Amino acid sequence: MASFEDELRSALRRREPPQDFTERVLARVAAAPVRSATRMSQPWVRWVAAIAAALLLAVGSLEYRHYQGERAKSQILLAVRIAGGKLNKAQKKVQMVTHRSNS
Amino acid sequence: MPPRAPAPSAASAFDFASLVRRHQAMVFSIAWHLLRDRAVAEELAQDVFLSLHQHLAEMESAEHVLFWLRRVTSNRALDVARRRQRRPMVSLESAPEPVAVTPTGDPLLGTALKKLVAALPEKARAIVVLRYQEDLDPAEIARVLGIPVGTVKSQLQRALALLREKLSRVVGQASGPVPGKE
Repeated sequence: MASFEDELRSALRRREPPQDFTERVLARVAAAPVRSATRMSQPWVRWVAAIAAALLLAVGSLEYRHYQGERAKSQILLAVRIAGGKLNKAQKKVQMVTHRSNS
Repeated sequence: MPPRAPAPSAASAFDFASLVRRHQAMVFSIAWHLLRDRAVAEELAQDVFLSLHQHLAEMESAEHVLFWLRRVTSNRALDVARRRQRRPMVSLESAPEPVAVTPTGDPLLGTALKKLVAALPEKARAIVVLRYQEDLDPAEIARVLGIPVGTVKSQLQRALALLREKLSRVVGQASGPVPGKE
């Protein structure tokens, strides 16, 4: 008598699909639109695209940092200019007061 | 052991029609055993081959094709089974039985086993089908289904114990001891 596993193997043996299965598959393949992305499916193309995207991200990130630096620099210059103006005014007032008290 | 495809040297060497003829029984049977619905299994098998045709340029060897077909068929059939989340739409008794390649074993026992396998949870069913239809070892099943080997081994053991127990309850009393349990 066959073992349990042999019975299982027999119950789950391969079955043939309908006789016209191959023809139906080939008909569907013929009717299916041609994939234009076959070049993209090549591994080297995907690698090049990934490297280009990484480079683009790196350059973009550097540019953004540069822009942020420039912006911070101009803000500091503006702050220094405003502070300088205020200091000038204060200095003039101090000079006026000193001049008055001397005369 | 299912027949292995001879190894063509490059993807360009693949003749699609002969690939379909060589692997159609394997693809259809995995879908049929997992879904127990002939029409759905046939449609799924056609979809798998259509997808293979679209990915043919990526195939590196005959083994790659075989592995790809097993993986894609199993995963798609599991997806369909999970989506349906119910038992077969047509009962096994009324469903037309596909043509058997080499009918062996006890037909009554076979029918009972098919019923019991169909009642297993989807993942366990896929493991049992890949083990006994495709004769894959646990490591190969793990690669096909993308799960750890330990999970395959434990699920397979549990499924076999469950099948043995249920089979002994279904046919054991009527026709004597269950094979392999004497």
